[in-house]
Formats: sequence, structure tokens, C-alpha cells
Amino acid sequence: MATSSEPILCMTDIDKHFPGVIALTKARLTVRPGEVMALMGANGAGKSTLMNVLGGVISPNGGTIELSGATVAFQSPRDSKAAGIAFVHQELTMFGTMTVAENIFIDDFPMASQLTDTRRMRAEATRLLDLVGARIEPDMPVEQLGTGDRQLIEIARALRRNPKVIIFDEPTSSLTDRERHRLFEVVRSLRQAGAAVIYITHFLDEIFAVCDRVTVMRDGTTVSDNAIAEVTAADVVRLMLGPTEEAGRLRPPTPSSASALVEVSGLSRSGALRDVALSLRPGEIVGLWGLLGSGRTELIRALMGLDPIDDGRITWFGDGQGRSVTPTELCGFAGLVTEDRRGEGIVAPQSITDNVALPNLGHLSSALGVIDGRRAEKLACETMNRLSVKASGPQQAIGTLSGGNQQKVVLGRWLAVQPRLFLLDEPTRGLDVSAKTDILKLVVELAQSGCAVLFVSSELGELMRVADRYLVMSRGQIIDDLPPTASEDDLMRAVA
Amino acid sequence: MSVQADPTLPAPRLRLRQYLPSLILLVLVATLLTVMWAYMPNFFRLNNIINILLQASILGLLAIGMTGVLITGGIDLSMPANMALAAVLGTMAMRSTGSAAIGPVVMLAVGLALGAVNAVAVARLKMIPFVVTLSTMTVVSGTCIWITNSVSITGLPPSYTHTLLAKPFGIPVGVFAMVLFTVIASFVMQRCVPGRWLYTVGLNPRAARIGRVPVDRVIAGAYLAAGLMAGVTAVLLTARLGSASANMGADALTLDIIAACVVGGVSTFGGVGRAYGAVFGAILITVLSNVMNLAGVSFYVGLVIKGAVIVAFVAAEHRWRH
Repeated sequence: MATSSEPILCMTDIDKHFPGVIALTKARLTVRPGEVMALMGANGAGKSTLMNVLGGVISPNGGTIELSGATVAFQSPRDSKAAGIAFVHQELTMFGTMTVAENIFIDDFPMASQLTDTRRMRAEATRLLDLVGARIEPDMPVEQLGTGDRQLIEIARALRRNPKVIIFDEPTSSLTDRERHRLFEVVRSLRQAGAAVIYITHFLDEIFAVCDRVTVMRDGTTVSDNAIAEVTAADVVRLMLGPTEEAGRLRPPTPSSASALVEVSGLSRSGALRDVALSLRPGEIVGLWGLLGSGRTELIRALMGLDPIDDGRITWFGDGQGRSVTPTELCGFAGLVTEDRRGEGIVAPQSITDNVALPNLGHLSSALGVIDGRRAEKLACETMNRLSVKASGPQQAIGTLSGGNQQKVVLGRWLAVQPRLFLLDEPTRGLDVSAKTDILKLVVELAQSGCAVLFVSSELGELMRVADRYLVMSRGQIIDDLPPTASEDDLMRAVA
Repeated sequence: MSVQADPTLPAPRLRLRQYLPSLILLVLVATLLTVMWAYMPNFFRLNNIINILLQASILGLLAIGMTGVLITGGIDLSMPANMALAAVLGTMAMRSTGSAAIGPVVMLAVGLALGAVNAVAVARLKMIPFVVTLSTMTVVSGTCIWITNSVSITGLPPSYTHTLLAKPFGIPVGVFAMVLFTVIASFVMQRCVPGRWLYTVGLNPRAARIGRVPVDRVIAGAYLAAGLMAGVTAVLLTARLGSASANMGADALTLDIIAACVVGGVSTFGGVGRAYGAVFGAILITVLSNVMNLAGVSFYVGLVIKGAVIVAFVAAEHRWRH
């Protein structure tokens, strides 16, 4: 139902630089009243920055924002709010012990002289809740409500001032199917009422369910703006990911015919993973492919015992016969690199030597547990040489290294441990091209030496350089198992 | 094994502000010593120094135990209470059996057992250290008063006091114990695997977990060690006082322990600090108490000053580290 009326919001050529980073270059976004605009983009495409500019959280270095035809410049979130722009955040920003009405009016209580006007607040809350079709008592404490209801409360809060533009930021990421459909109804009714909606999501099926147009961002700029009927899901994926870098495979596909090293079945975690089954064989690199929010990271975390699981069975064949193990035990057999390098990879204030030594302390110490400092330093030097880590020396604090060098250490420290299984979640995130290639080469070496590698990357081109087969994930399930001959097109279609 | 230094990278530079806490400490020590010397010209005589060290030994040993817990990012408020109960039960055991050897065994066992209670609550049940050890402290000191009726328990076997109050080479056993445990704790924390784990857990528990550190066991170990140190101090203090009582675990002692650690450079945020630093802090706090005593400052004003010293150091640490 694309309308042809004048745009209500028109963001043109928005630039934003942060020290050392260009976050936005000539980003554009146009939305008309009575229209739902999907805003899509991979991680780091600039969606959040653009929305922060719109929300008055950050001010752009260049470009114009026109609202109802007049140029505006927001100095603060307050300005943006007053101009009729409202955000619906994920449900996490609620105060559980306060009532629904209090949560709706948390930043602007209706006042009667110096006291909050509870009666007006309740009446107003009831009206807003009706508007979003929520049958919730305004006096209920929020903590007694489910996620779907909380999401509706967030929307009610956003509608408080009759906004002209409403931004939904990944509203469905923690909703059940029924709650999602209820949310779609609300979005459609807002459109009916003439509001302009910007809908940010990672789920492609949703944009075809509720949106009229789709704007795609990539690398800080807007790459397309189409009516939804003009594009297919595969088009959107292609636009989001951009042309795959023309870099050759690092080794020819080497499907492993060995028997499985580890088998997983029925792995489930409420709200994240559903009945995941997979097996990994020695010597193969399995690319875990899926869009953001598909459950890739959740799968790695569940396999390693970092997040609890509800159900599932893991069988480890590392000692000959298979035996059932817990995720925490499996973690003891694996080399693990998570996507959060600062939070879970490095111990920032400690030296490179100490970081390399951490999982190797058993080998680097005497029977009484005294650490052999010289051997630890030797190991650190070997690791640094093998991965060409740039640092002033093994005693430099790892936190002061560049991201690529930190990551080399985080991965490299496992080499001496010699685990037979590697789980790598975005090991190349934020790295420059040469560091990326170094890491990928190392991954190939690991597979050649007989390790099983489960490799997650949101860059398809990178995955295609090393993967011997692909497991495709969507909504917490493994939906496909593709051979190494799968083309870029096949892979994009698989997730679309 | 050669790593080439990359000239394009700045060598990690030490800045003045990293040294500021130590500098301030140095000034504080110099002032205290000058005051001491002005009031008491014979302060610097060997005998007197040894005396100060003996006074500081109880606080120093407790501070060593507290250091491990603080490095994990926790706190153990129950140490003095645990020490008192260990002392009381140990003394009762000695009195009823007449055996001097049973006392230290009971005291160490009670200390460890109470440490284990804290360890399970914090490491296994994931309870908040502050709340857990505050509860332990209350329960334990309540029990202690209940058992003793607030009366000192005397009647130690003479061989017990005789052995522990001995002064081989003119140096009291208590001072030996403090030096011995300082060396052991510093060595284990600096050079051994459990020590490395301890710091890693304090600095980044999530990264430690992924780096195969048994995080829960490390945290449990720290509380157990604190319990053990409470037991050790119970043995020494009972001998020195010639009796055991619920009073031994006065609340003000908890403050002194934390003050010693903080002044000695142990971070209340976890991950930073040395055992010898805490012992140095303990000596400093003892001298400070002496100075205030000599200057005629009342006990209560003394508490105010010590509390202020802790706040000042924590505030300074927060500023300089972040």
C-alpha cells in the first residue's frame, strides 16, 4: 500500500565520522506517512548510527534532516521527541517492579501540583493500551507480564505523544510466533492511522509480511530504496552483503570422510535454539552460515556451556568410542574463540605471555604448580612469530595491542593446547585484510592437522574461502547442509 | 625465539599517575615515622621494631587471607568472627582434653570449615560475597557469645603458650609466622598456577572461563584460604592473650584488615594486589594506631581516621585506575 504522498521524513546525505572511523557517508532515508519502511543492513552497516542521528543522540557532521518539509537539527533526544519521533526499543528497558502505567510514563509523569496525577496517568495508559490492542491492566507490575505484552507496552509508551515517525528496533527478536503476529497487527493499524513507521529487523520474512518499502544500508551508506514488490528476499540479502570479495579459496574443498569427532542432537534452548543436530568430522572446516539473529552465536555458546541448554545430547568420539558429554566437558576438549574479544577473549591488563600461557598453564608448570616463566615466554615468542604478532615484546600488555594482534594471540594460544575441535565465532571481526587472511590461513592449517573446525562469520566471502561444507541457520534451527560447491547465490537463497 | 620489536609501536609507558598511590603512601609513612620519632626517640630501636611487627602480625596474617578474596573481586567480612570462634572452640578442646596439640588442630579446622561455608555460598550458590560473609560474621559471632556467655576462656595448657610465645633468635613466633606466610602467599600468587588463576578470575572471569580456568574452584579456594588464615591467627592470638573470647573478633578489626589491604595496594575491584603489600599495609595501620595512641587520640576518633584513610585510598584508586 505504497502511498504517493509527500515524504514526512527525508534524511539526505548524512555523514558521521568518529575518530578513526567513518560511520556514515551520504546515508539517505525517506519515509512517507502511512508507510512502513524496512531498514536493513548487516552488522556495522550504519543503521544504529543513522537512527541515533534521527533520535538526536548524536549530531551528524553533514547532511540534512527534513521533517514535514522543514529542515530540523536535533540537539538532543528531547528535541527529536518533541518533533514527533518515537522509538520502540526492545523490551529490556522496563522497570519490572513498577506498574504498566508507571512504565509508560516513566520519563514524563502527569502532574497535579507537585504530585503525580495517578488517575490521569491510569486513564491515559488505558487509552494507549487500547490503541495497541493490549488487554493489560495498567496497575499490573511489569515483571508479571510476558515479553509480548512488554513489547506492546513499549509501543504504547512511544505513542504517548502522537508521533509522526515511529521506529521499531528489532521488535520481534524475543517474541513467540503468536506475539509476532499481534505486533504486525499493531504496525498495520499504525500505518492505517497515517503514521510513518521505520522497521528495523534481521528477519527477512517479516519485511515481506508488514513493510511497504525497504531501504538497505551497507558500509555506512544507503545502497537501495525499493518498493517491497520490486525485490525478492535474495535481492535484499545480496544488497546487504554486497559483492563478495574476489579472493580465492585458501585450500580446495576437502570434505572429510572420517567418522564424526562430535555429534550433537536435539540441542534446544528456549527462545534461541530449536532441536539442533550436527556432526563435525576431523579435518573439515564447517561454515556456520546465517544472518544476524539466526542463532549462530547462541549455538556456539550453548555447545560450550556458556549458556545453559534445555535439552540435547552431545557425543564425543575423541577417545575412540563415543561417550555422552556435557557442554562444559566439551568445552574442555575445544579451542574456543568467541565474538566478544574484549569481554571474553583477552585479559587486557596482563601481558601477551600471560595470555598465551593461560590455557597452557598445565604444561608450563612443574608438578607442584610453579610456573616456568622462561618457558611461558618462549611459548609466547613462538606464538608471536608464527602468527606475526606485532608488539614491542612478549611482556607488552595485550590490551594495548591492535585488534588484529589481540585476536592472533587469542587464537594462537590454543595451538600449544592442541585441541581436536575448534569453535570460532567471528574470529576475524574488526580485523584488517591482511590480519584476516592470516587468521584464515591458520584455520586451514588447523584443519589440515586433523582438527574439526566450526567457523562462524557474517562475511560470506570469507566463509567461502575456507568452508568444506555449510550449515545454514535460521531462527535457531539448522535448515540446510550445503556442499562446498554451493555458490554465493545458493547460500544467499538459503537464508532468504 | 626472537621477537622483533616493532619500532612503529609505542613502548608501554609508565605514567606518573600510576606511581601516585605509592608516592602518597611513602609520604604517609615518612610522616608517621617522623611523628613516632618525635614522640618516642627510641622508636627505631630493634626491640621496639620487633614489638611493632609482633603487634602487626595478627592483622598482617588476616590481611594475607583477605587479599586473596579481594583479588577475586569479593570480600570476607567474617574473618575476625571466624578467628574468635576458632579460638574459643580450640581453647575449650584444650581445656577438656588437657592436650596442647589439639588446640591448633581444632582452630585450623574450624577456620577452614567456616571458610568452606563462605566458599560454597559464593562459588557454588553464586550469592553476593558481601551479604554472605556479613551473615556468616553475624551468625558466628552470635554463636561465639552464646557459647562463652561473653566470658573469656582461660586455662590454656602451659606448653601451648610456652611454645607459641617463644622467641627463637630474639624474634617472636608470631613475627616468624607472618614472614613465613607472606613469603608463601607471595610466591604462590606470583609464581604458581593457582595464583595466576586468581588474578585472571579477578580481572576477567568470562575470559578466564574460556581460557580453561576453573573459576568456581579458584573463588572457593580464596575463601578457604581466608578461613585458614583466620584459624592461624586464632592459634597465635590465643597464645598471646592467654585466653580466648568472643571479643577477639571485634568489628573494628574487620575495618583494620580492609584498611591494611587497601593501603597496601590491593584493589577492591579485584585482580590487583600483592600479599606483601597487604602485610606492609598492616604494619602501617599498626604504626598509625600507635601514633594515635601516643597522641592521645581516643579509640573512636581513631576509627574515624582509619575509615577516612580507607575511603581516601579507594577513591584515589578509582580515579587513577579509570
